[in-house]
Amino acid sequence: MRTLFEKIWDSHVVEELPGGNALVFIDRVVAHEITTPTGALEIEQNFGDRIYDPARIVALNDHVSPAKDTETAIQAQVLRTWAKRHGIKLYDIGDNGICHVVVPERGLVEPGMTLCCGDSHTCTLGAFGAFGLGIGSTAQGGAMLAGCLILQRPKVYGIELRGSLGHGATAKDLALTVVARLGFRGATGYVIEYFGAGVASLSMEERMTLCNMAIEAGATSGLCPVDETTFSYLAQTEYQRGVPDWESRVERWRALRADDDAEYDAVARIDLSELRPLVSWGTNPGECSPIDGAVPADAPQASLEYMGLTPGQTLDGLAIDQAFIGSCTNARLSDLRAAAAVLRGRHVTVPTIVTPGSQAVRRAAEREGLHDIFQDAGALWTHSSCGPCLGMSMGVLAPKMRCVSSSNRNFPGRMGAGGRVHLASPTVVAASAVAGCITAPDRLAARHAVAGGAA
Amino acid sequence: MNFEGEILLVDRANVDTDQIIPARYLTGITKSGYGQHLFTGMPGGTELLQSKPAATILVARENFGCGSSREHAAWAIADRGFRAVIAESFARIFLENAYTNGVVPIVLPKAEVEALAACGRARIDVAGQFVEALGRRIPFDLDPLRKSFVLEGGFMEFLAKKVELVRAWERAAAS
Repeated sequence: MRTLFEKIWDSHVVEELPGGNALVFIDRVVAHEITTPTGALEIEQNFGDRIYDPARIVALNDHVSPAKDTETAIQAQVLRTWAKRHGIKLYDIGDNGICHVVVPERGLVEPGMTLCCGDSHTCTLGAFGAFGLGIGSTAQGGAMLAGCLILQRPKVYGIELRGSLGHGATAKDLALTVVARLGFRGATGYVIEYFGAGVASLSMEERMTLCNMAIEAGATSGLCPVDETTFSYLAQTEYQRGVPDWESRVERWRALRADDDAEYDAVARIDLSELRPLVSWGTNPGECSPIDGAVPADAPQASLEYMGLTPGQTLDGLAIDQAFIGSCTNARLSDLRAAAAVLRGRHVTVPTIVTPGSQAVRRAAEREGLHDIFQDAGALWTHSSCGPCLGMSMGVLAPKMRCVSSSNRNFPGRMGAGGRVHLASPTVVAASAVAGCITAPDRLAARHAVAGGAA
Repeated sequence: MNFEGEILLVDRANVDTDQIIPARYLTGITKSGYGQHLFTGMPGGTELLQSKPAATILVARENFGCGSSREHAAWAIADRGFRAVIAESFARIFLENAYTNGVVPIVLPKAEVEALAACGRARIDVAGQFVEALGRRIPFDLDPLRKSFVLEGGFMEFLAKKVELVRAWERAAAS
């Protein structure tokens, strides 16, 4: 009667601690250049530079790589020298990417694992039936020093997925639906565990998009069951391909499943076939509506003031100044293929930035000629990084600039002070980049006809 | 631990960490110096801070500290001289980061937050777990383990002492 999450948790508790806390063993620490240096330096200065197990750590320069200035260059260099000193695997310029893209694509996450990173979107890794946890820099330092974290045991929010996606809806629209349905803080204190036949219909990349945004509902993490789709994906990865005990691994993973009579602390159901393309209108990801809908009459005044919108305003046709396809939510090969399918033979009318999630994704996309489609359409095809998503390096918005983005956060100032972000799927971003306003791919043809008629 | 101070009300729900400190300031390799950037991502945030330069207690609404895991949010709050944040609720990662950095995270019901929002000062007794304001004592809960990190520090030392236990556990789990 245990959930999948409870089985992973129970198999990693080293010691129960006062106040409902537990010391939880961490199988892998993911370490990037923005949040790792403080912890690494603290260990070096106060704890004899001891690392619990360097083989359990993977380091990446991912947020601002290559560095944009002296300070970010120092961050990257601290990570480099620390990784080299301890023999920690490092993904660096030329072979790197966003940690939540690189770790799965290399097979560094396995079902049943616990993983942590000083990055809230570590919940992405839950797509593999693993517990991926975002934490602060000090906690990450603790995990690097002692191989464990102090955690309050979360409750489990079971979400049953039925049916399959259609009508132009994508995993992004599902992820946004979950946040809107549960509320921006509705899953605080919970791990979201997906189950049901609808999960089986999703690819691993779709599951990653889904789990990626669990944090946006406040959840400790998101989690998908493991199945043949999981095993097939992992079988192709660098660290899992050809391992001698592959069959026994798969047998062990296959046994890792929620009991049929598992009891969840809360339950919700979503029918995938009912979903439609969404776009956010507010200042948190839960504030979103169908593209053919409007800003709700009861939308919070503070959100609308910041976004420059009014209640009842239609979303389709809202003029934009920039478009961004990328981020740990939607920068994998299938996302780029979907966006390219919309952009093929068309031309963007606003500045459009396409940033692959990793160099491996970039090279795979180029083998298929996707970079030509993007560039023929007039978009900028960049190297991999977190890019414009967090307003830290390139593609920063000016105040009041409106950007439709395939990323995960539309907070005030997220992509630049005063900038306005509308979250949507890569296909909606691509269609909007062509139209110069928020729209869905299936409305592009009609828009062209109208524009042609007017001319 | 026991302190009295002026209250600054941040009268918004969902104050995310991008509002507390935007990502463009996360370029350091130390825990200090972030106070100057506090609330620069919040509409009107800088003016709000300037309105009460001596405040040491933040009062906020629901879901304070949501979003990114950046501990810089807790560092910026501590660096600017705030010793406690009173809110209707906190996001998980911020809550953990606050404890680790000696910023007391106090969850109170909406009605108590309303009452405190309307008064200028409060005294907080961390060990005794109450806020004293408006002539009465308002009790609050703290995680008993993490409370010790607020009072005495020692988060990393606590974990350092667990290394042998963890190694033994790992060996047993592998066999």
